Amino acid sequence: MNDFSSGTQAIILVLFTTLVTVTLLMCVMAGPDRDDLANFYTGYLSLTPLKNGLAIAGDYISAATVLSTTGIIALTGYDGYVLAVSTALSLVLLMFLLAEPLRNAGRFTMGDVLARNMSGRAVRIAACVVTLSATLPFLVVQLSGAGSLLTFILDIPYAAGARTACIVIVGTLMIIYAAIGGMRGTALIQMIKIVLLLGTSIVVAALVLNRFDWSPGDILRAAQHGSGAGPAYLQQGLQLGTSTGGRLDFVSLQITIILGVACLPHITMRLYSAQDVPAVRRSMSWAVGTVTTFCLLVIIMGTGAAALVGSQHITAADPHGRTSVLMLSQVLGGAPGSAGAAILYSAVAGMVFITLLSSVAGMTLAAASSLAHDLFAHAVRRGQAEPRTEMTVAAWTSVAVGIVAIGLATTVQNWDVGVLTTLAICIGASAVAPALTYSLFWRGFTRTGLLAALYGGATCALLLMVFSRAVSGTPSAVFPHADFDLFPMQSTGLVSIPFGYLAGWLGSRLDHRRRAADSREQRRLYEESEARLLAAAE
Amino acid sequence: MTYADENRYPPPAQSYGIPPRHETYGQNPWPEPYGDDAARYDSYGRQAPWDAPYAHEPHRDDADLTALRSAYRLLRRISTLTALGSFVVYVVLSCYAPGLMGSKVTGELSLGMALGILQLVVTFAAVFWYGRSAQRSVDPLARAVRERAVPTGRNAGMAR
Repeated sequence: MNDFSSGTQAIILVLFTTLVTVTLLMCVMAGPDRDDLANFYTGYLSLTPLKNGLAIAGDYISAATVLSTTGIIALTGYDGYVLAVSTALSLVLLMFLLAEPLRNAGRFTMGDVLARNMSGRAVRIAACVVTLSATLPFLVVQLSGAGSLLTFILDIPYAAGARTACIVIVGTLMIIYAAIGGMRGTALIQMIKIVLLLGTSIVVAALVLNRFDWSPGDILRAAQHGSGAGPAYLQQGLQLGTSTGGRLDFVSLQITIILGVACLPHITMRLYSAQDVPAVRRSMSWAVGTVTTFCLLVIIMGTGAAALVGSQHITAADPHGRTSVLMLSQVLGGAPGSAGAAILYSAVAGMVFITLLSSVAGMTLAAASSLAHDLFAHAVRRGQAEPRTEMTVAAWTSVAVGIVAIGLATTVQNWDVGVLTTLAICIGASAVAPALTYSLFWRGFTRTGLLAALYGGATCALLLMVFSRAVSGTPSAVFPHADFDLFPMQSTGLVSIPFGYLAGWLGSRLDHRRRAADSREQRRLYEESEARLLAAAE
Repeated sequence: MTYADENRYPPPAQSYGIPPRHETYGQNPWPEPYGDDAARYDSYGRQAPWDAPYAHEPHRDDADLTALRSAYRLLRRISTLTALGSFVVYVVLSCYAPGLMGSKVTGELSLGMALGILQLVVTFAAVFWYGRSAQRSVDPLARAVRERAVPTGRNAGMAR
């Protein structure tokens, strides 16, 4: 597929090395002091709203978003457009609903928000478990994707070990970024990434439009033709079918995405590093603006891939179309072997590489922070840990999380694990979103309710996912030949989101009935902290 | 989406641990220009004995917070419901009225695609609108609540 001369490979290798060197240097220079927790977790609140906004957008646009969304648009057209819209709107919803109270309530991790009025280690442990269960699948899916992408980009012939080597290299880099850079270091990498990503995407989108003389009608006609689907390309239904069940599944998936993506811990974590409420608002404005621009560009790039590459070639390289951006850049660059082709392809490859690196680093940091702060410092040491110890633990948990993720990713590298992205988003929507909305806005929320929402929502999403059609029963499933698809959908949101909210509500009602004194105390604590929650008053 | 915090509840009288003498400014609790001038608070702080007898004063703080709470709630509800509602309507229409969404607007561009891209474009305006309204409705109230809380420490320090 990848018919480039060794010259292009050399350019790409040099580019990758440069990117790695520059980002590593920046990480080391921006790294926190040895015993300053606030510096490690939030970077001293020293980022300007613009920078913080770019970092949020960088964390938000993961490699999965860039590659899968382009692929889905290229292969399914309209369904992909809806996906791009829901991805952008999820961050908007985070900004409108949660961002400001979250910033006021939180300190370093999601556990700080949830446990602010609730004593006891169970809350911290639950927060940590849910953070891990939402970030680890996402991390694994991106790392295992990194293996196949890098072998594709560098045109390494498929041999046992080549992918594993790529996964290990990317994983090692990600551990270094997270452990050394902390919040500030990864923020810098996210900023570099988002600038490169936006710049390259603008160029690619402009080239696509230019190819069709800036006429949307021509592109759409060519895309309908190239996709082989004809007019169906511009109608809902190519992704999950047009049966009643398929349509319900589609609605469910979109709702899950809009509620779940922005709630994932590695994104909410960036909000705590804003200086004050107006700053978090401005940061989110920048982030939403960037993400929305990017989603518009993705629509153009995906449609361009369908029009110029054609879905046959795309699915031949990857059934989910994750390589469609790269193939699009090959087509756009002009004749194979020309300088333009080499430059464009290298630029897009570099963009994909840095996107992969930065998104896995951000997720590792979120998981490691939760382990160090929620589990170690608060649950094991009951809040008595020395800052210095906690920092060391945070660095080592980054290493541990990274190694576990590398191990899992190499194990599953030959499977089709795109379903793990859905799982992470479902857990975000059915466990994290209920817990955060209740905890921030409902004064009657109690400890049992919180634990029920976190564990109940996550367990429900996980169980349903295992028995869903994304795991077995369909040709595109993880186990296409097995058949235990008791839950006839691809995503679990339709059931698991109401379940998470219901569990939180029922748990709290149970507390009101059984432990009236405790829940009154909880309510009093909420009311006492309300000035801090709404106005950041101390 | 429902918020369980809708119910009006009796505001706690002993809130925030702020001694009553600091609730005493004869000032309007509403978003007057609260500058950062500590001096003003100082002078009001010294007038405390004069103001103290006002029995209703402890509620001043709650009034601020209540106003802030409802301002936030209104903003949150309008913006969230608009964003979520428009998207849900869009997805449902896409799924269950493909004929309508497939109708051509201009050239190859169908209504569904146009609405999708329109939502993305409108997002910029919505974010701008949200920032503006939050600045106008919420920020002054939040500043008021914050400055009620902060002078406690500051005045206490100066009194010593």
